[in-house]
Amino acid sequence: MAASVDIKQICKAYGRLQVIDGWNLSINPGERVAVLGPSGAGKTTFLRMVAGLEQADTGRIQMSTNRTAFVFQEPRLIPWRNVKDNLRFVNPSADISAILQQLRLEGFQDYMPSQLSGGMQQRVNLARALIIDPELLILDEAFTSLDLPFKLTLIRDLLDYWHQKHFTMLMVTHDLKEALYLADRILVLSNAPARILHDFPVRLDEHRSFSDPELLRHESQLLDLMYDQMNKIPPRS
Amino acid sequence: MRSTLRFLTGIGLFLLLWEIWARWVMPGIILPELGTVGRELMNLLGEMTIYHAALQTLWKVLLALGLVLILGIILGLLLGLSTAFYQMMRPIIMIIQAVPVVSWLSLVIFAWGIGWRGPIFIAFLSLLPMALLTTVSGVSNLDRKLLEMARVYQVPRRRVIKDIYLGSLIPFIVAIVDVSIGQTWKVILVAEYLCGSSGLGVEILSARYYVNIPKVYALTLLAVILGLITERLIKLWLGRVSHRWQPA
Repeated sequence: MAASVDIKQICKAYGRLQVIDGWNLSINPGERVAVLGPSGAGKTTFLRMVAGLEQADTGRIQMSTNRTAFVFQEPRLIPWRNVKDNLRFVNPSADISAILQQLRLEGFQDYMPSQLSGGMQQRVNLARALIIDPELLILDEAFTSLDLPFKLTLIRDLLDYWHQKHFTMLMVTHDLKEALYLADRILVLSNAPARILHDFPVRLDEHRSFSDPELLRHESQLLDLMYDQMNKIPPRS
Repeated sequence: MRSTLRFLTGIGLFLLLWEIWARWVMPGIILPELGTVGRELMNLLGEMTIYHAALQTLWKVLLALGLVLILGIILGLLLGLSTAFYQMMRPIIMIIQAVPVVSWLSLVIFAWGIGWRGPIFIAFLSLLPMALLTTVSGVSNLDRKLLEMARVYQVPRRRVIKDIYLGSLIPFIVAIVDVSIGQTWKVILVAEYLCGSSGLGVEILSARYYVNIPKVYALTLLAVILGLITERLIKLWLGRVSHRWQPA
């Protein structure tokens, strides 16, 4: 079952620095939502609040699940455990071979993290998230550090998996194409204190291609919208 | 192979310096010749009493070391997890660390007289602060990001302690054992000498009493050999046990 997320008027500040300013958002079960915004706009803070790693100062976040997986920007694998044991750490009873096959990790189950490239470590990071059969999958710039071919195959593998399971996805990225390829809804944020400037629906086929002219048209639309909306925001006093 | 050769060369060099010193630099009773000490050692090894004494010292060393490791690591873990508890306990640890061994000795003799409990208690108190503080610094060096990951995935605490805490603490536990083994031998021998009823420390006291200097050296040599063997065996065992937590 996929999770729904309901966010009402959340605010977050670090000392005197207001980071998130009154967000309202509803995410339906099975939706794939991408968050785009400038650095320091509180994107990671927002994901951490949804994951329960931080508390909002005001407002509330309600979720219909407690089976949340988080693909961190850095792999966060246990260095003294091999791939198999890193996956078993979060779910000892799972069928590891199926997920290893799905994410092209067969044959690597006995490798230690230090024996894997950065891209493979990130693949294990994603496998660890999917092995708990998540109802909500959170991705924090999960593909940023990967080279392009690796990134594309991993994104495709993730999307294939989503087509089988239809969990809810919430992701932060700086890459417009990545957001358009993966999401069916994109939230555009302002500078800090961040507000949701636009809720952009992605009307593309479920089976997408990076060279699809329609995806490229969406990209330029989104870019125009981002510049346009950001220019409209008056400076805060 | 090469390291063994260097190790043996080091020992050979030490023995050579000893012999030169005993024969030509300072001949006399303070440093007997190697041959005299060797003969005394052989005589000792022919007596059952020395095996009994060595065993008496050995079990005290192992018990004190075990207590230091178990209690030091468990308490250190608790102290590392709670800043308030650590701040509360720190003065007590500092006091234990600062009290001179002779004061503990006097208290031990008042409390238990001459016997086996005194040496163990003194060795335990001498090494506990080091074990505690090393474990605390191990906990404070834990990768918080791994703990955060475990929190998101709601991993049970027991598995987190086994897979993350223990793995992170292994280098610190190895360091505690490294420092403790030699120290425990020394402290136990001194404590046996001063308040023990049996063991190699008591044998050294008896040899000193009869001004049998070669016997003092032979017993010391025996203690050193036993200390090195114990250290080697414990490190081998620890290496095997900790292998599961080594990052490739």
